[in-house]
Amino acid sequence: MNKIIPAAAALIVALSAPQIALAQDHGRGHGGDHAKDDHGGGRQAARNEDRGPDRSGGGGNGRGRGHDDNGARGRGGEARAVIAPVARVEARVAERRNDDRRRDDHRREDRGPVRIEREVVRTVDRRDDRSPITVFRIEPDRGLVTGCPPGLAKKGNGCLPPGQARQIARARYDYLWARRNTDEQYRYDDGYLYRVDRGGSVMGWLPVLGGALAPGAVWPTQYSYQPVPQYYTSYYGLNDPYDYRYANGALYGVDPRTQAITQVVALLTGQPINVGQQMPAGYDVYNVPYAYRDQYVDTADSWYRYNDGYVYQVDPTTQLVQAAIQLLT
Amino acid sequence: MRTIMRRALTPLAVILLAACGGEEKAAGDATAETQPSDRTLAATLQNADGYGALGAAVRNAGLTSVLDGVGPYTVFAPADAAFTAAGTGDFTDPSLRAQSAALLRAHIVPGALTRRDIAAAIERDADGSVQMRSMANTLLTFTRDGEAITVASESGARARLTGAENVATNGVLQPVDALLVRPDAS
Repeated sequence: MNKIIPAAAALIVALSAPQIALAQDHGRGHGGDHAKDDHGGGRQAARNEDRGPDRSGGGGNGRGRGHDDNGARGRGGEARAVIAPVARVEARVAERRNDDRRRDDHRREDRGPVRIEREVVRTVDRRDDRSPITVFRIEPDRGLVTGCPPGLAKKGNGCLPPGQARQIARARYDYLWARRNTDEQYRYDDGYLYRVDRGGSVMGWLPVLGGALAPGAVWPTQYSYQPVPQYYTSYYGLNDPYDYRYANGALYGVDPRTQAITQVVALLTGQPINVGQQMPAGYDVYNVPYAYRDQYVDTADSWYRYNDGYVYQVDPTTQLVQAAIQLLT
Repeated sequence: MRTIMRRALTPLAVILLAACGGEEKAAGDATAETQPSDRTLAATLQNADGYGALGAAVRNAGLTSVLDGVGPYTVFAPADAAFTAAGTGDFTDPSLRAQSAALLRAHIVPGALTRRDIAAAIERDADGSVQMRSMANTLLTFTRDGEAITVASESGARARLTGAENVATNGVLQPVDALLVRPDAS
């Protein structure tokens, strides 16, 4: 049954409890739910606090403050309308242990405190499913960890002597990670992507898909991720005993005993799409999965667009997202 | 719908059609309704002649499970000739697994996009230009170039949708005649 979760109303997850230390949990910080509309700052700051002891010897590792060089870039302006809640809105305030994470926490009881979330959810036409929609969020700066990568000593304002930084810069395939309209440059080396400034200093780093985050590799201990919520375990049929983790646009299966990555389950855009807000750029074409095309047909009143496991109903005129529809049969 | 395109099957389309068992009606025909096959994207790619380089990159990146999974995705699939023309090197090299993954993310968008869908969106747009977000978190821009549909990446790479699309169980394989990354873009 397809579950339509809220129409024409703002979904707002108010806050989490970032101060809860998760440092012993491999230094992970947990990301938030779909409606959590921070743009990097608050959540990443929380991660800084969450981060465990720096085992790299470099010191100062933590989430970088991102700038979004791609996300939600609108065509014809950056305005993002936020509609006011409409009538027939049911408000719910709940403080609870996140159901989506309960399964995950159960498997890792020895890893420290459980995160508590406070949610404010406004819905209309809610059906029998009372869980909020949850989607992943791509990090504005790709989730770069600021500071020095493991094994590299901090020197001055950077991590590497300039000569060594230039050595990283010579990688042939760096263009694959190039970004436009930014002074920052990205260099790939041995499983990790490095951001370097014009002076050649390493300003941040992250493990990348196929590199340090490849099947068979052990999950980097300092790299944070989001556990996979229940909806995604259902959508992707993840019924085996692995941990499932989201990081930087990909969903990974991880052996909980060895921390080894067993498979890449899915690629995701990580685009934040919120009911009541404007559809982000990049969804102009009807892309509903074939199995659902009879149900969700574009009309003069509503368009339907797929992203990361959900179909979004969009007002063609205002481009406001009217509903997020789960695809479970 | 704007222009009815000629229904001329190119040799490549014939090969791809025969290899993949899809039920395309016409190569490059943006108005034709394409029927889904019973294969996943991974299986479709594996059986498609002329797309060995892309298939090798998928395997090298460890993303076969993704293209065999639920999806859905649309993969803009450069033919082997496009890899050769771009001079990108050998993405079967185990030392290039991360590069293979990055390359593929730039060619994949969420959902199922048929050529007919893209053409309809272009037709509907006042500027005749529509965008989709890739798994590399970049925007791909689609426009008309005569009867063809072109796609351009943020890096400035451009390609034409060519040959016959294949609708798989978990998405669509859309052949393109060039890579959507530019080796000189860094």
